[in-house]
Amino acid sequence: MISDYLERLARELAFDPALARRMRREVEDHLLEALESDASDDRLEAERRVLARFGSPRAIASQFAAGSLAALARRVGFAAVLLIGAVFVVMKARIAWYGVMPVPLANEMRALAELVLSIDRWAFWLALLAAAAGWVYIDSRRPPEDFTREYRKQLRRFSALCSAATAALAVCVAADAALTLLRLTGAQWSVGFVVPLFSMAIELACAGALASWLHAMVRQASRAAHLSPAL
Amino acid sequence: MEGEMLKGHLDMIVLAALAPGPAHGYAVIEEIKRRSAGGFDLPEGTIYPVLHRLEQAGLLAGRWVTADSGRRRRVYELTRRGERALAERRAVWKQFSDAIGSLFKGTGRNPA
Repeated sequence: MISDYLERLARELAFDPALARRMRREVEDHLLEALESDASDDRLEAERRVLARFGSPRAIASQFAAGSLAALARRVGFAAVLLIGAVFVVMKARIAWYGVMPVPLANEMRALAELVLSIDRWAFWLALLAAAAGWVYIDSRRPPEDFTREYRKQLRRFSALCSAATAALAVCVAADAALTLLRLTGAQWSVGFVVPLFSMAIELACAGALASWLHAMVRQASRAAHLSPAL
Repeated sequence: MEGEMLKGHLDMIVLAALAPGPAHGYAVIEEIKRRSAGGFDLPEGTIYPVLHRLEQAGLLAGRWVTADSGRRRRVYELTRRGERALAERRAVWKQFSDAIGSLFKGTGRNPA
């Protein structure tokens, strides 16, 4: 009976496999100790009593889901602002590098570069604004004791803001890549090209990391969705 | 005590139960039952999300040990931050309790 209970608990906690493994071990120790303290000769009845006192696996998993998703969402919110800040620093560093090692744009590319640059700026500020709004929003929400419908709605709003930030950051990085290509294409290859290319790799890594964390959070929230009432 | 009323104070209750020293989940529950004289009636499993949350917040530190039974168990203890948090919550609770006590003073009906 206890092993069936532990299986059910692990299934309910499947939204976080590491937590499910840990809780399985921890709860097993608790239940066995409670069973040892039960003086009854009827082991089956004692197991029933111990499990009834412990509570429903779904209710316990729902409390874990609330705390786990709240912590993850706060980390994602903070990471989004940090990564967009890192992209800004890298962009500025690349521009500074062009000052030291000038790679002039071809005249016929200037109009196109202006257009891409304005898209780049708008996309960057939109990404920063959406990420900051998301971070402030989720950080100011008190995580509930259980994974309530209201908190699930709040996580959805936060995910929407983060998705907007990620999409805008992807546009910004793509625009940066286009600008870098416009500048480097046709120019004589030099070792100095390594810096803009490396900076682009960092920008791509930042955008990729944000998309990956956001995806992990959305996946965890959808795996835990059955623990809260339907929206 | 009502379950919902209790839920709002679980963090403080768990911190207080761990104040005497390190303990594992089952011992924390037993300590709460003993010190509340059975007044707090919550499903025992409720304690684990709280322990996990407090550990994540840095108020508790957890470590795996091997019990006499040979089973692995996780033992929790208050960190410095946890001790400070408990002292703060104790002060706030006393203030709140005194205020409610003053408010209720004299409102009970005298038996006829």
